[in-house]
Amino acid sequence: MSTHVLAAEDLSGFGTDPWWLIVIKVLFIFVFLVLSVLLTMWAERRILGRMQLRLGPNRHGPFGLLQGLADGLKLGVKEDLVPKNVDKWVYILAPAAASAPAFISFAIMPFGPQVSIFGHQTHLQLTDLPVAVLLVLAMASMGVYGFVLAGWASGSPFALLGGLRSSAQVISYEIAMALTFVAVFLYAGTLSTSGIVDAQERLWFAVVLIPSFLIYMVTMVGETNRIPFDLPEGEGELVGGYHTEYSSMKFAMFFLAEYVNMSTVCGLSVTLFLGGWRAPAPISTIWPDANTGWWPMLWFIAKFAMVMFIFIWLRAAMPRVRYDQLMKLGWKVLIPVSIVWIIVVATMRALRNAEATTTTWLVVVGAGLAAALVALYLWDRAAEKRREAKETAKEQEFATLKAKPTAGGFPVPPLRAAHYGSAVRDALEAPRPERGTSAKEVTGA
Amino acid sequence: MTVLAEGSYASPTGQEIVFVLLGVVTLAAAVLVVTTRRLVHAALWLVVAFGALAGCYLVMSAELVAWVQVLIYVGAVVVLLLFGIMLTRAPIGPSTDLDGANRPAAVVVAVALAGVLVTVIVDGFRTAYVPSARASSGAGSAETIGAALFRDWVLPFEALSVLLLAALIGAIVLSRREIGPAETDARRGGGEGEG
Amino acid sequence: MSLLASAVLAAPAPTPDIPAPTIEYGLLSPMLLVFGIAVVGVLVEAFVPRAHRAAVQMPITLLGLAGAFILTIVVATQDITPASGQGWGKLAAMGSIGIDRPTLFIQGTILILALVSTFMIAERRTDEGSFTAQAAATPGSAAEREGLLAGATHTEVYPLVMFAVGGMLLFPASGDLITMFVALEVLSLPLYLLCGLARRRRLLSQEAAVKYFLLGAFSSGFFLFGAALLYGYAGSVQLGAIARAVRLGPGGQYATEVYGASGQFAQVTVGSNALLMLGVALLAVGLLFKLGAVPFQSWKPDVYQGAPTPITALMASCTLVAAFGALFRVFYVAFDGLTWEWRPMMWLIAILTMVVGAVVAVTQTDVKRLLAYSSIAHAGFILTGMIAADAAGLSSALFYLAAYGFTTIGAFAIVTLVRDAGGEAGHLSRWAGLGKRSPVIAGAFAFFLLAFAGIPLTSGFIGKFAVFQAAIAGGATPLVVVGVLSSAVAAFFYVRIIVLMFFSDPAPDGPAVVVPSVFTSAAVALGVAATLVLGVLPQSVLDLADQAASSLFVR
Repeated sequence: MSTHVLAAEDLSGFGTDPWWLIVIKVLFIFVFLVLSVLLTMWAERRILGRMQLRLGPNRHGPFGLLQGLADGLKLGVKEDLVPKNVDKWVYILAPAAASAPAFISFAIMPFGPQVSIFGHQTHLQLTDLPVAVLLVLAMASMGVYGFVLAGWASGSPFALLGGLRSSAQVISYEIAMALTFVAVFLYAGTLSTSGIVDAQERLWFAVVLIPSFLIYMVTMVGETNRIPFDLPEGEGELVGGYHTEYSSMKFAMFFLAEYVNMSTVCGLSVTLFLGGWRAPAPISTIWPDANTGWWPMLWFIAKFAMVMFIFIWLRAAMPRVRYDQLMKLGWKVLIPVSIVWIIVVATMRALRNAEATTTTWLVVVGAGLAAALVALYLWDRAAEKRREAKETAKEQEFATLKAKPTAGGFPVPPLRAAHYGSAVRDALEAPRPERGTSAKEVTGA
Repeated sequence: MTVLAEGSYASPTGQEIVFVLLGVVTLAAAVLVVTTRRLVHAALWLVVAFGALAGCYLVMSAELVAWVQVLIYVGAVVVLLLFGIMLTRAPIGPSTDLDGANRPAAVVVAVALAGVLVTVIVDGFRTAYVPSARASSGAGSAETIGAALFRDWVLPFEALSVLLLAALIGAIVLSRREIGPAETDARRGGGEGEG
Repeated sequence: MSLLASAVLAAPAPTPDIPAPTIEYGLLSPMLLVFGIAVVGVLVEAFVPRAHRAAVQMPITLLGLAGAFILTIVVATQDITPASGQGWGKLAAMGSIGIDRPTLFIQGTILILALVSTFMIAERRTDEGSFTAQAAATPGSAAEREGLLAGATHTEVYPLVMFAVGGMLLFPASGDLITMFVALEVLSLPLYLLCGLARRRRLLSQEAAVKYFLLGAFSSGFFLFGAALLYGYAGSVQLGAIARAVRLGPGGQYATEVYGASGQFAQVTVGSNALLMLGVALLAVGLLFKLGAVPFQSWKPDVYQGAPTPITALMASCTLVAAFGALFRVFYVAFDGLTWEWRPMMWLIAILTMVVGAVVAVTQTDVKRLLAYSSIAHAGFILTGMIAADAAGLSSALFYLAAYGFTTIGAFAIVTLVRDAGGEAGHLSRWAGLGKRSPVIAGAFAFFLLAFAGIPLTSGFIGKFAVFQAAIAGGATPLVVVGVLSSAVAAFFYVRIIVLMFFSDPAPDGPAVVVPSVFTSAAVALGVAATLVLGVLPQSVLDLADQAASSLFVR
């Protein structure tokens, strides 16, 4: 029995850059992120405008491209209010704590393969670690401090609620997100981002591991507090959530953090699931050089923009969910489905490693399918039973309420009060007609 | 043990200096955790202590442990701690009732225990020297830890998952109320009275 | 130093290919079955309607425990030779588990005692059982009342008990300190929770749970500190490796396999004695806490009083056995060569435990607190057997543990039956004249008390005799004198209760004795039978304990 040797990562190409190259890369990442934030803001407003049959900002610069810059300037020169009852240190720390980790994650994002910069062979990636994806997860969980502390330090109930919601949400969705990564690790055999991109040379993980990819798409929206999961700042209930009490540059920092976080999860989705910097399928077949030199950066940015577009599209198309629905989705759907999927993936990997025969494959797959069918059948039976029970309960409640209107605990005014007229009484006393219509009659009267 | 001769405490390398500094940060933050009078600040100092500890692990080139420390302790445990504080009470400003009457006794015990442990460890490892460049050659890597965990320590590892399951069940038992919420009871009483 | 050496020798390139570990499923089958049943219990909680849960949980739990006991016997009848070629036993699961005769005896004892305790847990006739309807409801709230009216009770206790029992089986079988720590947590955590689930006197119960949890967490911390220092000393957490390091002494060198890199060996240099001594001390604190030896006994009365009585019975019997098993394994295997160093400390602790347990018990007025102090004193008696540090000491302690376990479960079972309007009638004054109202129950309780006191023709006498004999043979005669004296003090208050029950008049509004279902009756009957049989015809069990102890623990 031999074991398939997984893609053993080779990180020897990292950590050898001269200092000036590191400075260039850091600057590039910073500029890339800030530019992507400005452009995303513009694109978001334009696309939203289009989707809502209006124009969107089109006054500043060509196509309104400079709108983001103008907004930023406006925020910068606004008065910086600090409410009286805040915990000052934490209040000031929070915006920085929100935005700093978001930038760090991009250090391990591979923009392209090895290229030559001023005669130096180097990867288009600031650095890589054997556990690079863990770093992203760690930074994502660090980012939540900004929101929680902002909510608490503001000394405002709206902000506090927003901060609490945010921490619960990010932690819940991070679990599901980390579980989707597990399937990727199982296939790639490494946690380093460059290794994961290499492992997708033949097929994207978004294709192989489609359930993981779909779950990741959901969790990445939850993780960044975007519509339809933007409960922490739900303006209908919480004014502005955790940043209610912030203004000027501090508010801008939260804004920046949100968009950089979006960039991070988009970049991660490209790296882990969409083949990283590799060219999409038909291009590399027709044009072998597509994956060499500086071209890959184009593919990366194109894919990045695509995923970003999905974010904006979601915002235009989806209403905000309720908080309990959000939690239910996270804990009762995404996490269990991820776990089951990981078990399936692990079984497949184990069978492959053991070089199983076709019969074994058939038996295992057949057994899995049979188990799934049985589970589905049982689920259906249980659901039906629940439905029936609900129906009977409803009918019973109706019967009791009909017999005694106050039984449900609702303070019902006496029915025979003079000003009520006789319609209600008649409806209640008349022999009960078809189910469903009677309820309408009673309430309608 | 020829390795021991290669370095000494007399000429510390950069990594060693960073390690000591991180240790000082950890210690200072830990002291602040127990001395600060602001509840939320105590949790934040705990974050600093855990973060600096993760830094120590990084210097010792235990990358996996370091990032897991950040992910679990900084990213989840303290956030949940803050969550708990904020759900119950999270006053802005100092709290006056954080100290019990046993504070001096606690200080004495803690200092004495710390003193004994430090003495013993310093005494026990006085002559030991870990060359960090050698230590970085794979002992703390994800592969080594994974191999140790899933081969040599597979049974305690699985037993830990049992422990977590038990903890999960326990948490549900302690927190989930399945029968009749309290409010309806009071309301129903009112309704009966009127009928 | 050890750590550095392993780091240096583990240097070569990491292999992506991890060879599968070898797990001896047969040897581990009792533990695997118990954990498996616990998981099945969790599934039952998830999928079976509430009304049927108790009816499903109870039989599978009892069958699981009985099955695990049978598996223990099957393992014990096999022929297993250790690597050294002498004795009986094997290090299983990559050295994490040591399966040997003493361990199997301890595991068998735990399983039988857990089975009897589960009888008490299954009792529904006393007040719908001993467990709360809704743990989440605030004591005294409307929600609690609704839960009580609905006749609910937490059936999650069955899987939680199984988790705890699984941890107890693992604890004395651990071959290294890491596994032992994990097992300690697996057995403790469910118990912390179960302590807070009493049906009556909820606040007392919750207080007990919090106290037990906080102090237990501290003791776990001590255990871990000790394990870390011992690792610094020996370069390994394997009990056998620590024993080897102790034999070699500071500066000695030996080769040990590098974790995570199979087939590679590292040269380890044994560290200084200060590490060893502090390590032993801190580890001992963690272990002695679980058995409630003085000065780590303060949790015991509060927790025993507040916990639901079936859980108190489980803790007083099974946890004590498991904790002693682990203590024996650590001190007999890892610190075998250190007997002269740890013996004075154990002397002191044993004397304190016996004296404090017996003397403070005299002042108690609550029956559960009294039994708790009695349990502390008994822990002291068993410790005297350990001080002999040989097979005779081990064998006598094994017998004592089995005998005491049955008796204490029986006593706690009777406590659940004597009830008044507020639940169990805890105060001793309420027990006055019980002998005139229900002579059978009072008689059984008196019999258990006599066994605790160590009166001949009860198992308590044989146990004490065996332990003291071993201690004298081991040269601890003064200790035995202290033991006999504190037995006399203890006998005083046991007899006082007997006098109270039989020779004073019952109060007019005194507690009633509930007629139990077959479950509690079985627990009491088994307790009486075991106490009597082990008191009159102890030879077969003594032989079994001797046989188990003769080959000692595997290294």
